[in-house]
Amino acid sequence: MSAPAARRDAVQSAPAPARRKRRLDPTLLFIAPAVVLVLGLFVYPFVYGLILSFQPYGEHEADGALGSYLAFFGDPRERLSIWNTLRLAVPATVIDVGLALPLAYRLRRPVPGQRVITALFVIPLTLGTVLIAEGMLQFFGPAGWVNKTLLAFGLVQQPVQFLHNYLGTLISLLISDFPAVFLLLLGYASSIDPALDRAARVLGASWWQRTWRVTLPMLLPGIAVAAALSFVATFSVFPSAVLVGNPAGETRVIAFAAWQAAYEHFDYSLGSAIAIVMGVIELALVGAALSLRAGGYRRMRTEGAR
Amino acid sequence: MSPSSRVTVAPKLKSLRVRELTKRFADAAAVRGFDLEVAGGEFISLLGPSGCGKTTTLNCVAGLLEPDEGAIEIDGRDITRDPPERRGFGMVFQNYALFPHLDVARNVGFGLEVRSIARPETVRRVARALELVQLGALGKRYPAQLSGGQQQRVALARAIVTEPPLILMDEPLSNLDAKLRLEMRLEIRRLHQSLGLTTLYVTHDQEEALSLADRVVLMREGVVEQAGTPEELYAQPRSLYVANFLGYRNLVPVQVGEIRGDTVSVAANGFLFTGTRRGPLAEGGAAVATIRPRDVQVVAAGSPGCIAAAIELAEFVGEGFELSADAGSGQRFIARTTDRWAVGDHVALRLPPERLLVFPSEVR
Repeated sequence: MSAPAARRDAVQSAPAPARRKRRLDPTLLFIAPAVVLVLGLFVYPFVYGLILSFQPYGEHEADGALGSYLAFFGDPRERLSIWNTLRLAVPATVIDVGLALPLAYRLRRPVPGQRVITALFVIPLTLGTVLIAEGMLQFFGPAGWVNKTLLAFGLVQQPVQFLHNYLGTLISLLISDFPAVFLLLLGYASSIDPALDRAARVLGASWWQRTWRVTLPMLLPGIAVAAALSFVATFSVFPSAVLVGNPAGETRVIAFAAWQAAYEHFDYSLGSAIAIVMGVIELALVGAALSLRAGGYRRMRTEGAR
Repeated sequence: MSPSSRVTVAPKLKSLRVRELTKRFADAAAVRGFDLEVAGGEFISLLGPSGCGKTTTLNCVAGLLEPDEGAIEIDGRDITRDPPERRGFGMVFQNYALFPHLDVARNVGFGLEVRSIARPETVRRVARALELVQLGALGKRYPAQLSGGQQQRVALARAIVTEPPLILMDEPLSNLDAKLRLEMRLEIRRLHQSLGLTTLYVTHDQEEALSLADRVVLMREGVVEQAGTPEELYAQPRSLYVANFLGYRNLVPVQVGEIRGDTVSVAANGFLFTGTRRGPLAEGGAAVATIRPRDVQVVAAGSPGCIAAAIELAEFVGEGFELSADAGSGQRFIARTTDRWAVGDHVALRLPPERLLVFPSEVR
């Protein structure tokens, strides 16, 4: 945040002597295992899937290399899976960020019982979506605690249908995704210099003005990153869409469509094509979020240096 | 008010009164019964080592901490429970606390923007404030692109642009290097005078406090140890603690001999010398004699009425030498002199009685 940081950047961008560039730093060998893993477990399957997606199978073979993609986008039911997924991922991300933001900001400085509170928020991280879905089946079921409570207080006349629909999937996503968003924002919030808030107060800023003019702008990079990660996680939803959703209808998400193509219809090419479409959409949204972050960050550090 | 604060603009503040201020943290009182009256246009320095309560006091005046007891009044109005955003003071923080996401002009204009001052007037006043701190051309820069000294100037401009009745400064120079510190010290004093500011300045640096302030409030463990003009504190430290903090680095445990008025003869390690009495002393009791290095005269060995010593260390300090002289029995004296002495030289130390202060041993 200080001037030395800017100077350091200038030093780093200076061209290194040509002679140095040539010699391979032997410590680079330490990354070899990681490279092998990435190549074997990510790059190879990805490239394999990419190639597979351009090799249509069965009835789509006649449409050429893009046959599987044409099949996906040509079928309204298949196309709808993108919308079904966005309909879950976007609200889940917005709600989680919206809930985690004030909590993270409040807990950025030690408060009594902070460790317990933080631990509670983080527990879902350790459970995994399947266990959460299993729990929800009992808890949110027609005879579960939630409905019992609602009925007991007379808030509803008959049990609410929380499960095997859009709502069930959304709730499960909210629970499983919250910890990561919260922890990320907590890190960002606690790295904000508390003196900034005090400076703004002394300068006459009300709570509202401090929030809008100082806190939120400072948190914006963190919000962008948290939203991007949350979106990716929720966009690839699969287990909860099946276990507590309605995979035949409103929660027929894109990951389910890909799975169905590959393992019910054994059309690996179409399955791969759908997976690639999914990846492209994720990449586009993450790119947008991160460019927002980079924009904010750059503005803070270097704009106006001309 | 001391003559050094020649104000060219009428100060906006008439008086600041802090009465019986007490602030406790979990286990201990950080400030106990702090009293201070400041007249408009004064430059007051709160001086003391870390943990003495000076920053806590400042934060209570700012409103960032709520005092447990006592009152703070501005021009006779009680503001003890007012939140900081309603006090309208200016404040400079130790780490400057500039908003990293706002450029210099918007940092400086922050206090005006939140007051909904019209845009053209904000622009005008920001430009003037930046001129005052000699940063006129840097309005479009971001804090991260500025040097420490420039950030300091932005923080100053941000604090003065709202024309506050009172400016609070919390060790504003402690993050700067020695040369910049001197430069900014002059700058702060210049702004204080030309704008008719009233300033409360926290520092642990005695030189800074003495050179800047009209009055220095020296604090110790949450209470005021001595308050007065820099000259008063320098020449007449009330206690050993004050003396030691203000540069009396030679401390000699002594036994009190004969007391004649303000003159007292003392004995230590077989030396006999005469000093000036400060505080209650009892003949035959224990006391501490103290003298500034620059008041210790180093003369040729064997001079009468002097303490024999051998030069142990000689440090060149620009305007002269700082010597450490061993007077035997583990008693060392630090002396400042312009004469060149070599390590190992046998010398005599003369301690002028009027400069050698004898304090009661600390009972606290």
